[in-house]
Amino acid sequence: MLSESARMTTAEEARCRIDYPNSKPRATKIIALDPQSEAVVKRLAQGKWQQASFFTSVDFDGAPRGGENWSMKAWLSDLAGRTKDLIDEVATADLVVMVASAGTKPKTAGVIAEACGVRKVMTTALIIGSDEHTDEELSRTLAALRPHAGMLVIASDDDYIEQMLVALRA
Amino acid sequence: MLRKEQNDLLTQTGPGTPFGQMFRCYWVPALLADELPENECPPVRVKLFSERLLAFRDTDGKYGLIDEFCAHRGVSLWFGRNEEHGLRCPYHGWKYDTTGQCIDVPSEPIESGFCKKIKLKSYPLVKIGPVLWTYMGPPDKQPPLPEWEFSLVPPEQVFISKRLQESNWLQAMEGGIDSSHVSFLHRGDLGSDPLFKGAKGNKYNLSDLQPHFEVVEQPGGLYIGARRNAENGHYYWRITPWVMPNFTMIPPRGDHPMHGHFWVPIDDHNCWAWTYDFHPTRALTKEERAAMEAGQGLHCKYVPGSYRPLANKDNDYLMDRAAQKAGRTYSGVEGFAIQDSSLQESMGPVCDRTKENLVSTDNGIIMARHRMLRAAKAYQDKGTIPPGVDPQHHHIRSVSIVLPPDQAFKDGAKEALTRHRVGAAQTTV
Ligand code: FES
Ligand SMILES: [Fe+2]
Repeated sequence: MLSESARMTTAEEARCRIDYPNSKPRATKIIALDPQSEAVVKRLAQGKWQQASFFTSVDFDGAPRGGENWSMKAWLSDLAGRTKDLIDEVATADLVVMVASAGTKPKTAGVIAEACGVRKVMTTALIIGSDEHTDEELSRTLAALRPHAGMLVIASDDDYIEQMLVALRA
Repeated sequence: MLRKEQNDLLTQTGPGTPFGQMFRCYWVPALLADELPENECPPVRVKLFSERLLAFRDTDGKYGLIDEFCAHRGVSLWFGRNEEHGLRCPYHGWKYDTTGQCIDVPSEPIESGFCKKIKLKSYPLVKIGPVLWTYMGPPDKQPPLPEWEFSLVPPEQVFISKRLQESNWLQAMEGGIDSSHVSFLHRGDLGSDPLFKGAKGNKYNLSDLQPHFEVVEQPGGLYIGARRNAENGHYYWRITPWVMPNFTMIPPRGDHPMHGHFWVPIDDHNCWAWTYDFHPTRALTKEERAAMEAGQGLHCKYVPGSYRPLANKDNDYLMDRAAQKAGRTYSGVEGFAIQDSSLQESMGPVCDRTKENLVSTDNGIIMARHRMLRAAKAYQDKGTIPPGVDPQHHHIRSVSIVLPPDQAFKDGAKEALTRHRVGAAQTTV
């Protein structure tokens, strides 16, 4: 007896997998947390993306700190320098990717993650430039980001962010 | 998602393919040492990387892995007579030694030296521990022998098995670094399988179904750390090393043996899923060995006389809908190994990764692909030897450990992730 599974796993049957889109574009927001990663994010923003938008939180200092109530305005800049409302941005995101450079102690990760937590948006943090820094410096950045990211990745080359975003259909 | 060219690149390992060439830089498990149990025993057909080969052990105990087909008129040498220092083709009597060198052509006068002109392609075949290993790359690039711990511990401390998986190697390997499937697919077995149950760590596994992940590069590949909440704000970490391109070690549970896998392409539609179990400091108990032999833990039961799992695609993997409904197994399929193989084979012989929708918790898989694509390119362009070839990269351990919240596993478990000495105690919860 030829079972259903035996047929299903043949190359011929595999070719009959229907070829209709099985997902809608998702909104990915990529936020640089420091000047060095801002340069990388700026470069990425030049690429062609489905529904990715790129921001920097470097000039975040004027924004209110986490812990205040959520009607507060926290501010991001998009790369054209306009000011964006953090909560609005997070509310329309499917995934927020924070990019930080090794050796930094990103101050803004907390408030971004808090906004994501309220909106139940998944967070990922990528640490770049780990090759140029000592282990302790890297660990400091890791510790600063750990509470704020569901997925934390140390990438030795900057290329990885692009690869990851492509893989995630950003 | 991968582009079609990338998917093709990583899944095609036949002769001359770019990834196949890179894959041939490594020593890989070819067969169990038990498959060639004594001198002059029957030869064994071995297909690896879409190359049909024949393994045999001659009168002196020398191992050989040679082209399966006789150079004369193409007969399979599997029918050959293993006698007096060589394998003789039963058709016209041509005879070959373990290096594939023809040593006798009975129809030609010995003085003519004709047989010296005939040589079958051969690859080295070396016994280390319970496995016969081969290296199929260019002879001038042959690296030192592998130094995986399971193959270096005394025989009473190790058990290894292989099973046929009827899918491409990559979807099988990706299952091994897909840490988030364990809490679903294998959920039913953590508490009941004799080779898993009772460990303190299981409690953390089952009580926190949304682990956080950290992916960290290491010289030979990656560490994929999954953390779950433990007591007093601490984290329970399970850290899985992946060594390029096809090795993983699963984090230990309590004092159970440590285990992991190798996935080796047979051809583009089939692979060997190798599973090792070893305990670094003690012999396996009678009960443990019996459980492994009975197909528990990560091993499986077989169709008698073969390495094909008893539960396979021809019998719908013995799907048990009642067990699925009652939650005794999550998918209705029994045992870790077949839970994995059933789903991975169901993707089709070669998974179409242009249709997948990865999420951020799949970063381990994304990073592994990235590293392999990068290494394949470096090998093609510059001949750079890829990570994982150097035996130093084999000196790794998986770890399960409880750490304070602000400590990185790469620091807190640094020592534990390195195997400084074969037989040192493992770090486990
Ligand atoms: S939920 Fe992961 S493959 Fe279906
Ligand atoms: Fe699995």
